[in-house]
Amino acid sequence: MRDESLTIDILCKVIDNYGDIGVAYRLARALSDLDPVLRLRLVVDGLEAFAPLCPGIDPALAVQEIQGWTVIDWRRGPGPDWRGFEAAPPCRVVECFACNRPDWFEDALFDPARKDKRLVVNLEYLTAEDWADDFHLLESATRSAEVRKRFFMPGFTARTGGLILDKDFMDSRAVLGPEAPAESRCAGRAAILGQMGAAGAASQGSGATAAPARLEEAYWATVFSYERDYGHVVADLAAFQSGDLAAAGSSLLVLAAAGKSQPCFLAAWEAAGRPFPVLALPFVGQETWDRLLLASDFSIVRGEDSLSRAALSGRPFLWQAYPQDGRHQLVKVRAFLERLRPWLGPRDFGTVASATLALNDRDADAPGVRGEESILALLQATLRPDTPAAPTVAPPAAAQAGDRQSLASGFQAFAADLIDHGNLASTLLTFLCDFV
Amino acid sequence: MLMTGDIHVGTVFKSGKDTVIVQRMLGIKGGRNGQVKKLRVKNIVTGQTMDLGLDMGEKFEDVSLDIHAMKLSYIDGDTWVFMDQTSFEQYELSKDDLGDNVGYMTPEDDLEVEITFYEGKPVGVTLPINVVRTITYCEPGVKGDTSGKTFKPATLDTGIEISVPLFCDIGTKIILDTRDGTFVERAK
Repeated sequence: MRDESLTIDILCKVIDNYGDIGVAYRLARALSDLDPVLRLRLVVDGLEAFAPLCPGIDPALAVQEIQGWTVIDWRRGPGPDWRGFEAAPPCRVVECFACNRPDWFEDALFDPARKDKRLVVNLEYLTAEDWADDFHLLESATRSAEVRKRFFMPGFTARTGGLILDKDFMDSRAVLGPEAPAESRCAGRAAILGQMGAAGAASQGSGATAAPARLEEAYWATVFSYERDYGHVVADLAAFQSGDLAAAGSSLLVLAAAGKSQPCFLAAWEAAGRPFPVLALPFVGQETWDRLLLASDFSIVRGEDSLSRAALSGRPFLWQAYPQDGRHQLVKVRAFLERLRPWLGPRDFGTVASATLALNDRDADAPGVRGEESILALLQATLRPDTPAAPTVAPPAAAQAGDRQSLASGFQAFAADLIDHGNLASTLLTFLCDFV
Repeated sequence: MLMTGDIHVGTVFKSGKDTVIVQRMLGIKGGRNGQVKKLRVKNIVTGQTMDLGLDMGEKFEDVSLDIHAMKLSYIDGDTWVFMDQTSFEQYELSKDDLGDNVGYMTPEDDLEVEITFYEGKPVGVTLPINVVRTITYCEPGVKGDTSGKTFKPATLDTGIEISVPLFCDIGTKIILDTRDGTFVERAK
């Protein structure tokens, strides 16, 4: 903590509902955790999307104080009576995803009467591609010698800014993550089910096998993705339940997250005769969503924030990237797989890679898009334990992980490495504070 | 005002206090809200070069420049000599000054280009957006693959290497985008 309070402006334009604002919100929480004296101003274009994430936000207000932060409506600006820039003109600015700045902010930042040095950081989106290493901290041009700008790249390597390790997430990880004791995890799952109002028999569906006495003991699979025909996914989950899980005396609970994938997934599940229990989740806040991902044995996720949480969870997952022209999403997906490759044995990597590539090999999202994905082998691999004498948590040094290490241990080791890279919020805060 | 999208190889703009010219496009990537670029720029006053990033949305002051139409007359080692088509005066630019543009033109092209002058001194060249070049080496073309989505390296008659679609072959004439060195299409 510093003696003097620094003001940081975080700017965010809401492009895709909760993706952009989710990262900005997590960053704000992480920065406040690191330094409670820090003054944060959040300039948000799209308070309607922010409100469900951040309790207390009123989209009708141009300026409001929430959780110790000043939140300003990007479009309306703070208004002529607001004196915030007189006390603290913008001097450390984080632009989320090169969102640029509203005119009223631009005028204050580039005020020609100001002689102080100002720093703008373009916090780009999360990508596993090599250019993230290359662009991290790269100086970026502006029209003023007093306003410097730098790229700041989240990423999966030590040469990037890493990922946000906010306190809430890390605390939840300690209770529900792969290193947590079984009793703690079970109690955490029961709490989640209670919060969802789903304890006991509240989940839907029959299941081909007898459900376990308690849902918190089932195999949890979370689905949060895009619109598509989930027929293959449902069929594989059903086969997994009736085969591998039944043989192990376990059962399946699918948590279908609110959003684009939920109606598509439920439609496929209905069409298949409700072969396993599904909990159709309501929209949940970031902290609850983190706990759900951490509590799951397997997840299908989309979006930057959920990708980063899934990667940090230490649990096996599949990532569905947003489709782009010319299937450019496959470039991003392959880059991510290369980051994962060193932590998995060749057989497991092949299983993850083929499922991930098949899931992402499409031109667009639509309820009728039926891919060639097959996730059964991947689901089966999540159950396989380490072969005795294999390393478990410790990351493989230089060599690739061997096939004696289980898939689950590989994802765990991958997460441990990401955590070792440090907290993006902490690195960013140091960078902003040290700027002269 | 110049916008980020207006800046490419040969563009002169003010970055802070410095007047710089873009010599090389080191990378163009798809950022979250549009392209991000990595440039090699040269301070046209001090001659110092540096790598600089650019993201969408920044605005830059225009720089007062003189621009003259010329043609590349000949190349003498690392010196490229251009001739003003009106006055027939010759002006020299170094290979470094031209940056990536050296890979897009030869004296045989008879190509009219714009030479940029800053305070009376030639500092750079702006080419037409599209130029035609010939592939002198690449792996054999793959017949039937006309998607243009999969690329392979190819050497051009100027000696530079770019990425071209699999259907291209040695001797294929192609149209290049001089702003970023990308393949546009096969020349008709």
